[in-house]
Amino acid sequence: MEGEYSLDIVLPENASLELILILLPGCGADIGIAASLTGAGASLDISSATFAAAHDRFSIRTNVAHCAPGASSNQIFKNIAVGDSRVEFAGRIKVEEGSASTEAYQQCHSLLLSDSAVVTTCPELEIYADDVKCSHGATVGRINEDELFYMRSRGIGEQVAKSLLEKSFLFEVVDKIQDESLRAQVQTKFETAFEQYPGI
Amino acid sequence: MNTMSDILLEIKDLHASVEDKEILRGINLTVRTGETHAIMGPNGAGKSTLSAVLAGKSQFTVTSGSVTFLGRDLLAMSPEERAWAGIFLSFQYPVEIPGVSINNFMKAALNQKRKAAGLPELKGAEFLKIMKEKMAAVKMDPAFAKRAMNVGFSGGEKKRCEIFQMAALEPVLSILDETDSGLDVDALKIVSDGVNALKTPSTSSIVITHYRRLLEYIVPDVVHVLKAGRIIRTGGAEIVDFIENNGYEAL
Repeated sequence: MEGEYSLDIVLPENASLELILILLPGCGADIGIAASLTGAGASLDISSATFAAAHDRFSIRTNVAHCAPGASSNQIFKNIAVGDSRVEFAGRIKVEEGSASTEAYQQCHSLLLSDSAVVTTCPELEIYADDVKCSHGATVGRINEDELFYMRSRGIGEQVAKSLLEKSFLFEVVDKIQDESLRAQVQTKFETAFEQYPGI
Repeated sequence: MNTMSDILLEIKDLHASVEDKEILRGINLTVRTGETHAIMGPNGAGKSTLSAVLAGKSQFTVTSGSVTFLGRDLLAMSPEERAWAGIFLSFQYPVEIPGVSINNFMKAALNQKRKAAGLPELKGAEFLKIMKEKMAAVKMDPAFAKRAMNVGFSGGEKKRCEIFQMAALEPVLSILDETDSGLDVDALKIVSDGVNALKTPSTSSIVITHYRRLLEYIVPDVVHVLKAGRIIRTGGAEIVDFIENNGYEAL
């Protein structure tokens, strides 16, 4: 199912929200998340796992505004792209004046499993306050050859080793789903995707 | 007496390069069943290249020569096939694998080896028994089984984890690549006790080291000196003493 989804989040004093985003192949989507941490001590946690395959197009935009002191946000995005798929990520963190002791972190890591898949990441930090801890990190890459060789040298066949590494990459996010039966359902969906769309 | 049939590993005139630079320049080495060989040499001699070539790392190109392991052409085998045939390389720098627990890693490694031998997968209880026994053998805290492989481990913990994997996989030929580097005396003792406890009349080891220290704990039958890509001396423990007193330059 293709579609546009937008989410507006306002977090007042001491409110907290944990959001987990699961994007499966065959349902390309355009997702916009705008969050304002307007109260002191508010906290936001966004985790996202995307598997893009074939001609999927995923666009994920986040805009997190820290407007109060002592609030924290933590975002982690993990993307796997195979086939001719495309994943675009743009993540903006803005720390307004007066938002002292803010902690804001954002990470976006992508694994490219075909020559024609494309991932673009665009992190953006705007900071107008002192005494803040902010960081962002983005990587786009292939399966790590050293990790693969280490596993193969222990007798784990190449395909099994790759599949373990790819699954562990996404399951870091999936493991955060607290509801056991929902977590198992999502795991099965991703496992099916790995079987259906093997990378190179 | 040893006979030809006792030969486990035979390296003949092995040349290997990385990015067109020749590192190994004609290695000859024969390891028989039950033997412990030490390969000593200064930095840059090609010690780690030799171990990587034996384990099948693709960055190195073998330009000539042959390696036979249990009568098979080792160089034609993939890294996993070498492991299934009984080769184990303990890495100088064990690799961290985020997200893959030691449990899941070992389950895959043991079951893939069994599959290659035509055996059924281990049952849950059988697997747990192996984990428990082998971790105890190297005095490794069982809590490590749930941690991601080598992630956040100290130098000593990583080396201990290598020896634990060696114990669990029961190789025929273990290659220990500078297992002593970065270890304090206590860790060195635990690791070498583990290696010694695993020694059997039907297994062999190649211990690669820069220093004499490790060879006080793991006593070799044969000592080789590797320099500039060639083995320039082969003998017994007297070579270790000579190097200790005179350095590699004197050879």
